[in-house]
Amino acid sequence: MVRRMLRTRSLKKKKVRTPGNRVVVHFEDKKTGIARCAICRKPLHGVPRVKSSQMRKLPKTKRRPERPYGGNLCSKCMRNLFRRSVVQILEKK
Amino acid sequence: MALEVGRVCMKTAGREAGKYCVVLKKMDENFVLITGPRVLTQVKRRRCNVEHLEPTPHTVKIDAEASDEVVIDAYEKSGLLTKLGLKKPSPEVVKEAKKEVKKVEKEVKKEEKPKEKKEEKPEKKPEVKEEKPTEKKEKKKGLTIKFKIPTIRKGKKEEKKKLEKKEKKKKK
Repeated sequence: MVRRMLRTRSLKKKKVRTPGNRVVVHFEDKKTGIARCAICRKPLHGVPRVKSSQMRKLPKTKRRPERPYGGNLCSKCMRNLFRRSVVQILEKK
Repeated sequence: MALEVGRVCMKTAGREAGKYCVVLKKMDENFVLITGPRVLTQVKRRRCNVEHLEPTPHTVKIDAEASDEVVIDAYEKSGLLTKLGLKKPSPEVVKEAKKEVKKVEKEVKKEEKPKEKKEEKPEKKPEVKEEKPTEKKEKKKGLTIKFKIPTIRKGKKEEKKKLEKKEKKKKK
């Protein structure tokens, strides 16, 4: 039986073959999914793949790009948003 | 809409994206000088790529490279503060911002002066340096060619010959 500490489903189990030709279970932390743009679903740059508990320990500047909608939208979609907001003003006139 | 002096634009890239600014001067085909001013819209006085700007139908009457205070007054006269939903900063804040701009200008001037001195010094040094190493290199090259190559080649060949002689003697 494994240690009680390891008997949780929050850990990922990985089978490893040792040099002595024996299969052993290793317990690893699960990785979070890739952060994606909310509009175009492309993977985002500058957002680390760590557990939420680790994310809290990081400085705020390392959690997301430092621009409006950083960490939610990719830079292209963000630009389109602001471009469109200006064009809407023109159309109203 | 062209990016002429006094055109109000929205920045679309970087940390200042979504904020309004005014064109102060055309620097290049691709670049213009802009300012928020920072006290008003949090856009610094800086050089900016034309592709990162989206021109709006609004304009402000200013001269090229006007100071931030003048730009704020021009905003007020044109009545854009209410249209764009901006708050006019208090005069105390504007004064402090003006001091900061002056400080930056002073620092830039200070940096420029010592640079000129530094440029003069290295010009003299390399001339002296260039002469010395050339002489040394020539001497070194001469030494290597005279001594190193013959010693290595002779040594290897002699050793081979000695080994061959020994083997022949053993066989006999």
